[in-house]
Amino acid sequence: MGIALGLVFFYAPIELEEGLLQKIFYLHVPLAIVSLCGFIIGGIMAIAHLRTRDRRWDLRSYVAIHMSLIFGVAVLLTGSIWARGSWGHWWVWSEPTLVSYLIVFLLYATYQPLRFAIEDPERQARYASVFAIVAGAFVPLNFLAVRLSTAYLHPRVLGSSANLPGSMRFTFLVSLVAIALLFATLCSYELTAKRTRMLLRSRSRILGFQ
Amino acid sequence: MMMMLPLANALPESSGDGYVAAAYIVFFVLLLIYVAIMALRLSHTERDLRDLQARSGAEPSPPAGQTPREGDAGASPHAEPHEQTLEREPV
Repeated sequence: MGIALGLVFFYAPIELEEGLLQKIFYLHVPLAIVSLCGFIIGGIMAIAHLRTRDRRWDLRSYVAIHMSLIFGVAVLLTGSIWARGSWGHWWVWSEPTLVSYLIVFLLYATYQPLRFAIEDPERQARYASVFAIVAGAFVPLNFLAVRLSTAYLHPRVLGSSANLPGSMRFTFLVSLVAIALLFATLCSYELTAKRTRMLLRSRSRILGFQ
Repeated sequence: MMMMLPLANALPESSGDGYVAAAYIVFFVLLLIYVAIMALRLSHTERDLRDLQARSGAEPSPPAGQTPREGDAGASPHAEPHEQTLEREPV
């Protein structure tokens, strides 16, 4: 993360049109990509759970979605700040990328209430997995729909007409790797903490303290 | 957060864009809040663990290799005892 920040502020050139404001790109876009990938990974792990009935996959799916939601909050906040600086508005409802991301975020925001509304652990895991798979399939479809839409107000820098200079592209890739590593580290941290709490609860129950 | 201060000072004055600093600071604050919440939850876990240890202190733990207590038997005979009990725990 430190290397990425160093590259962003001291290596990558300042963009001509947006100036320094473009530096938000190195944070906002990797966060968005990693969070969307996290949602899809959560769906894939949910498939593994339904196939194997192994609760560990459900836990991994839950943690991936949970962490993607946190990253999603960061995406929305940094995106709003960038929009304000660049377009003069905190939010532009006519922009499909923003609205589609918000739809995905709100969809996943219902995951936890749905999950914790069910008390039976087995049913909870099963229903949450079904939700994660359906919503996970919606994410790439949503992405494609936005790509195919005609209003290209949102900057496209990584498509077929990629026009990022080498140094900017390199900085972006380092930032993407840094954010992905941060995501993986926090997932591992959360997963360990969750498993420890579950183990503690089960031990307490076995010993008759609950 | 300390790392952000020199970065914020490194921003050119002329740009007038506190937006860049704001975006990065918001991200790190969010990260900090998450870590703080996790630290709080871990401290609760530690307290519960200490409580459990204190309450079960009188009971001798079974020697290694001995059959686990009642409730440790679970779905798969190959899984470790704690994994079997986790099968029934809510997330």
